[in-house]
Amino acid sequence: MSTASAGQGGLESGSGRRNRLRSARLYLVSDDATPEAALLELLSAAIDGGVDIFQLRRKGAAPRDLEALARRCVEICHRAGVLFVVDDHLELAVSCGADGLHLGHEDMPLSEARVRLGPDVLVGASTHDRDQVVSAVRDGADYISAGPVHPTPTKAGRPAVGLGHVTTAARFTTVPVVAIGGLDAGQAGMAVEMGADMVGVVRAVCSSADPAGEAARVREAVDRAAPWSWLWINGTMRKCLPHERLSDLARALGFDKEGVVIEVNGTIPSRDGWDELLLEPGDKLEVVHFVGGGALD
Amino acid sequence: MTNSDTLRLGGVDLSSRLIHGTGKFSSADVLSRSIAASGAQMITLAVRRLHLDGDRRSELEGVDLAALTLLPNTAGATTSEEAVRLARLARASGLSDFIKIEVVGEPETLLPDPIGTLEATIRLVAEGFTVLPYTSDDVALALRLGAAGAAAVMPGAAPIGSTLGVLNPYNMKLIIEKSEVPVIVDAGLAAPSDAARVMEWGAEGVLVNTGIARAHDPVAMAGAFAAAVTAGRTAYLAGLAGVAGGTGGASSPSAGLPEPISNAKSS
Repeated sequence: MSTASAGQGGLESGSGRRNRLRSARLYLVSDDATPEAALLELLSAAIDGGVDIFQLRRKGAAPRDLEALARRCVEICHRAGVLFVVDDHLELAVSCGADGLHLGHEDMPLSEARVRLGPDVLVGASTHDRDQVVSAVRDGADYISAGPVHPTPTKAGRPAVGLGHVTTAARFTTVPVVAIGGLDAGQAGMAVEMGADMVGVVRAVCSSADPAGEAARVREAVDRAAPWSWLWINGTMRKCLPHERLSDLARALGFDKEGVVIEVNGTIPSRDGWDELLLEPGDKLEVVHFVGGGALD
Repeated sequence: MTNSDTLRLGGVDLSSRLIHGTGKFSSADVLSRSIAASGAQMITLAVRRLHLDGDRRSELEGVDLAALTLLPNTAGATTSEEAVRLARLARASGLSDFIKIEVVGEPETLLPDPIGTLEATIRLVAEGFTVLPYTSDDVALALRLGAAGAAAVMPGAAPIGSTLGVLNPYNMKLIIEKSEVPVIVDAGLAAPSDAARVMEWGAEGVLVNTGIARAHDPVAMAGAFAAAVTAGRTAYLAGLAGVAGGTGGASSPSAGLPEPISNAKSS
């Protein structure tokens, strides 16, 4: 883990932060209940347990009441090389020198935040369905969260989307996906196997008597799970299941339509051969169809 | 013209000798109505990447591809290797064995690369495609492409999209006269009269895209090109009344003309 940014989070470049985001595996979000002093202790303990990103989320609090707490969190996180993200409050994220801002659907539009923050501050977005995933990435999200996987009091009233949405998010993004919502050490591995790049936890760690130990158990489960593979589709990086059949990938991405042709590493398997073709990391796919054209347009 | 006057290409009989391009149309609706108005039975298509996330609809979605013979092209290729790759991708769709070879040799005019075009023709004929190469108006090259197994040759009247009409009528006539395979004049035809003219010379067909797509009313223009192609073909079959030496010749009999007034007897 990098400590290059210690104490001066606001000065780190966007690419440096994005590189750390890429390798992050465990994402902690604060709860509303833990008192400030206890929260700082809990944060330090959870970082010892293997947290890579911390999001300060206090739904009831006004931004100006969070300023001091946010600054303490920045110190703790940056001393440990952990990315610090502020939920919802853009001005607070800027003033305390956070690495990123996380936006839900009731918060300001992502595209506006992207413009106001510039390229060096990360922006994350909550997503609950495929359209939100696609528009979040289009609007410049650096990562997305996918959830809630299970019903959770943290997001009361929001229906659980299950791990299926984690898989959808993994299919349709190039940015890291955080599976979140009622996940603990028992389910973290499954979330990764369903396509998550990292696992987000709230209660599992915040309500634990042993936050360091609990964070370490989740982290271990995440590290032990088999992550998805990267490959190239039409020049962009995409993820697929390890050794996924071409037919399964085609079905998942809607390529199994008449007239669609897939070339894999320069050769064109027949449709009948899609079942037997197992994709490997780094494979190069070209997916083409007919478009209007009389000549070069 | 009778129903038996068809253009046979790769085992397919086309009664319409107008091939309809599908690029540059303002909407899928205009395109499908233009194809219908043209009466074309063959259309050209390009092979391109599918959009992964965004809008996957194609301008072809309103066109009943199954009712037409598809002529995919290799537009975008600048080498024979790229053309061969695009041709294989096109055929793997299972929708057509035809391929219109386009190997661009000069980026500004999109004029074809003669050597790459011939190489791609030889390779794709060997792979069993029905090959229609887009070529320049070079006479010897057109003959070489025919000899290499092209089902037809497609000399350009003028650069693609230029709508300059037939720039070199002399060469175009020579290609039509000497080619052993059908000649389909492609590219640059601006007006129905251009199409009629090459059909009168004996071209077996024409391909029109920009001349229709960029017209003020593409659907009406498609009908105008169809009529011109029919007129030109009918004229060719009827046999043009050639005028030897380019001097004038009266169309009405000179005998039986009343005596001029000035010579009339006055009383």
